[in-house]
Amino acid sequence: MSATDTRPETRLELPSKARDTLRTILSTVFVVLLGWSLITVEIKWSRLIEAPADMYRLFKVMFGDLPWDRTGEMAGLMWDSIAMAWIGTLIAAVFAIPMSFLAAENLVGRPIAWVTRQIFNILRAVPEVILALLFIPVFGLSPMAGVLAIGVGSIGSLGKLFYEIIENIQREPIEAADAVGASGVQRMRWGVLPQVAPELTSFLLYRFEINIRASSVLGIVGAGGIGGSLADAIRFKEYGQAGLALIVVIVGTIAVDTISGAVRRRIVAGPKGLAIPDEADIIVPMV
Amino acid sequence: MTAVEPPVGAPTLQLPEKPKPSLFMAGLWAVVIVFTVLCARRVGFSFAGIIEDLQRPNPVLDGLYNTRWGEMFSERSRRAFIETLQLAVMGTAAGVLVALPFALSTTRVGNPYPIPRVILRSISNVIRAIPDLLWAGLFVLGVGIGALPGLLALFFFSLAVMVKLTADTLDGIDMGPVEAAEAAGASHAQMLRTAVVPQILPAFSSYALYDFELNLRASAVLGLVGAGGIGNRLDFFRNRGQWDKLWGLVFMFFLVVMIVEWVSVRIRRKLV
Repeated sequence: MSATDTRPETRLELPSKARDTLRTILSTVFVVLLGWSLITVEIKWSRLIEAPADMYRLFKVMFGDLPWDRTGEMAGLMWDSIAMAWIGTLIAAVFAIPMSFLAAENLVGRPIAWVTRQIFNILRAVPEVILALLFIPVFGLSPMAGVLAIGVGSIGSLGKLFYEIIENIQREPIEAADAVGASGVQRMRWGVLPQVAPELTSFLLYRFEINIRASSVLGIVGAGGIGGSLADAIRFKEYGQAGLALIVVIVGTIAVDTISGAVRRRIVAGPKGLAIPDEADIIVPMV
Repeated sequence: MTAVEPPVGAPTLQLPEKPKPSLFMAGLWAVVIVFTVLCARRVGFSFAGIIEDLQRPNPVLDGLYNTRWGEMFSERSRRAFIETLQLAVMGTAAGVLVALPFALSTTRVGNPYPIPRVILRSISNVIRAIPDLLWAGLFVLGVGIGALPGLLALFFFSLAVMVKLTADTLDGIDMGPVEAAEAAGASHAQMLRTAVVPQILPAFSSYALYDFELNLRASAVLGLVGAGGIGNRLDFFRNRGQWDKLWGLVFMFFLVVMIVEWVSVRIRRKLV
């Protein structure tokens, strides 16, 4: 018998896996919902198999013969869409910034904050296209209907992002402002605004990028911009024109994203931020 | 009197000089102002015009006062709502499933080869640049009207959102576990499975729920181009000028979205 045998036997055991009830329930609910959808939805699943071939045929007619001479006209329409998105974003900001002060629990009482947040929630629930649908009879088949749809539709999500930023600020500057006898407005202007301005601007630009996507489809319901040309092309089966419009939308959107993204990084990260490549961890807010 | 004069040698209080605005900020402001003016002109923005338009008799507001609440629960609306919900569920599931490997292949940790990485990243940028309704329009052209083009549109729309959010999370993970896995001799797949995926899973599930909210909102408008869901009904009422019924549908939609969001936010808070 060797000495090692007399030692008490220690067995290495892996700790048991933590059980997560919430996750189990969620997964079950989701699987049941998904199964029910797959079975009862009115889709012929055999069509799904044919879809790639159909799409290939569509892309061939769309991009096979592009009417390049109309590029200028399309670019003009995309510029309309970008302008609608920008003015809409500004309108939203004009309302969202003061309202977000009223939704931050560290600045106002809970009841006021609660009411303001419910307004944000209601505004956030409707898609811009539905707003445009409702605004067109009032403001006509014009870009203004689109601008206001984007403006009203963005107040909710901008306001939500803004009050979350405001709730994370430091208290000291506000206390300092109170200590020297600042009025309510002065307190906001000197105690709060300087702390949140960079992030606010950054989120505003981010929302602008989202709104370009929204405004480029508003034309489908008749609210101006490049979507109208696309809708017409689809209606009259002018595939070449649809293909060109699609290319212009993609190029225009990526161009604005790139510029706006660079400005955002510069604002949040300072002059050195420009040196950070695209893969840096940039906060992407959820809207 | 000498009492009010400061004693000799005492430091005089002076406000520090205001920092000059940086060239970047000055330039940015100039560009923003010019850009805003150009945009405002382009869309024909005018306050007077807005007020004038609002004062005219207005069929939409009349419809709002006489909202047909019955439209919230009518048989046809209910079927349309169920289709919208089903599209959102299936679109989210499909998008989420494909998004994880796709996102991994666009990041340094998941895909060590720079050229395929850049190509995949560009593809994801292109997918993200196409809005939901445009996808729907494209698929309606390709495969005909119905729920199928709506599902395909939502799939690409969720893919875009999920890949972007997940890739950004992947860029910020802790590299410690990755090194540990590699030091222990894990294969690439094993490393991803044990060192990368567990780190992002809570955020990923939270994004998936968020994506479901987005899809629900998006699926309501797909029908405007013929891709299924309540959008078809909305378009129908709009073309007939039945704003009272349209408002009933919009209110029902409000209710559904807000309930789903209320539940989803609570779950997301527990997940992260």
